[in-house]
Amino acid sequence: MTQHLPLETLIDYIHGELTPEADAAVHVHLTACPPCREEYAAEVQLGEALRASARAQEVEFPSMIAARTWERIRNARPGPLASLAIFLRPAIAVPLVLAIGFGAYFATPLGHAAKHDRTINASYYLEQHAGQQASDPLAERGPVPVMESSLVDTAPPAGGPNDANDAIH
Amino acid sequence: MPFTSRTARSTTAALGLAFAAVAASGATSPVDQAAVLLRESLDAPKSVSYVGEMQTIRFSTSRAIATIVRVEHRAPSLTRRWYLAPDSLYGDYIITRGIATYQFDTKHERVTVSRNPMLDDTVAASGNLDRVVQNYRSVFDGHEDIADRPTVSLSLINKYTGERAVRVWIDQQTHLVLKKEEYHGNGAVASQMRFEELRYTTAIPDDIFATAAPAGYEQVTGTEIATPSSDIERVERDAGFTPASPKDLPQGFALATGDVTVVNGVRTLHLLYSDGLRTISLFENATGAAADFGTLRARTMHFSGHEAEYVEDGPTTLLTWRERGLYFALVSDLMRPELAEIAKSVVP
Repeated sequence: MTQHLPLETLIDYIHGELTPEADAAVHVHLTACPPCREEYAAEVQLGEALRASARAQEVEFPSMIAARTWERIRNARPGPLASLAIFLRPAIAVPLVLAIGFGAYFATPLGHAAKHDRTINASYYLEQHAGQQASDPLAERGPVPVMESSLVDTAPPAGGPNDANDAIH
Repeated sequence: MPFTSRTARSTTAALGLAFAAVAASGATSPVDQAAVLLRESLDAPKSVSYVGEMQTIRFSTSRAIATIVRVEHRAPSLTRRWYLAPDSLYGDYIITRGIATYQFDTKHERVTVSRNPMLDDTVAASGNLDRVVQNYRSVFDGHEDIADRPTVSLSLINKYTGERAVRVWIDQQTHLVLKKEEYHGNGAVASQMRFEELRYTTAIPDDIFATAAPAGYEQVTGTEIATPSSDIERVERDAGFTPASPKDLPQGFALATGDVTVVNGVRTLHLLYSDGLRTISLFENATGAAADFGTLRARTMHFSGHEAEYVEDGPTTLLTWRERGLYFALVSDLMRPELAEIAKSVVP
């Protein structure tokens, strides 16, 4: 790969969309081509900036549409079945919630466990795992890289959304 | 131990040197030759002193973490790593003396002292090498000059999947590993380490390895790495609860060691599974203590009706979830779908 990488290829590389062979080829090229590495860094930075910007912005619902929606909700009249359901809702919901609550507390250990709020720092797990790897052949024979923990992906400021929800079935 | 730079060397000559080295040990088959070469590369830092510049890149699914460190190593067990990059770590340094490490954070004027018995555990290292030979096929991969030094390259191929897991470039004369690449199951590079500059020398001043905290520095105790045991039955008894273990592991993995530690008042069981090159850590506690991700960006994933949280540290993933009163944390360099499969099998 002697020419510079097309932007589309770089973007696919960043998002892990390339085949393993193409991914490896792009990686090798990036280690040897400063201009492409700069382009890669700029693309990564741009993506992160866009995500940060999107998180920071709250889109306001147009005020007229909001007002009309609330007016329709207020004027809506429930039918006879809906009225009955509304009347019975507390009578059904309150015992149901109580039953579930008692069940969770007394029938499982989770209810008792939730009483205390002891936690284990996530970095403890990472450090112990890395520390035990020190006896692996070819592992870095150096210390646990605690100092590099500042380089680990960190969360946006408090209140920021959790932007990645994956499902593996 | 001065060496001259050699830029041109034939494949025959390169492999010849490697084979000559292993032939002296009485090995005959290529597999044995590769195992001997690997063992010699393991022992090299105990007898070879050097100064150099090392670059590492660790890839996660969405980003790469790159560091450049200046390394001074005096055999057998004194090492200083001084960060040149990234900017956030520039000037910080780590000194390793045997099993103790001193991490100097120059920006916060703090030195963190921690101990890791595994840094000097030759028995465990030897056991892992046996697993490597059992689970991986070694293939000589030609030669290349790294940091102006002629090297022999060796790939380790998983016997069950046929995938290349690791490739190392070993200095032909000193057997020091000068470059290493680790690969995910899909062939993508997980991490890379290579020396950019290297000079073998024993003339390294003593004060390079001085561990006394500079004036004004706060000294704090870092994480103590637990001493593992291969007596798993005893470890599980010490846990004080009935642990769960994965029924579905990638081929070649076996339970290697375990330990029980008390973390923040929580008795925590740690089981370590290994195939020699790759490891899986399973942590469990029965006291309802969840993982505190702090400022790490925890993400949510779902498997088999479970909601789990995970963070990535380069190619390493930490996956946590709760089931039947036990809290689990799984840590490995395996890919996330592989971890999810293992997690599913912990408590079916």
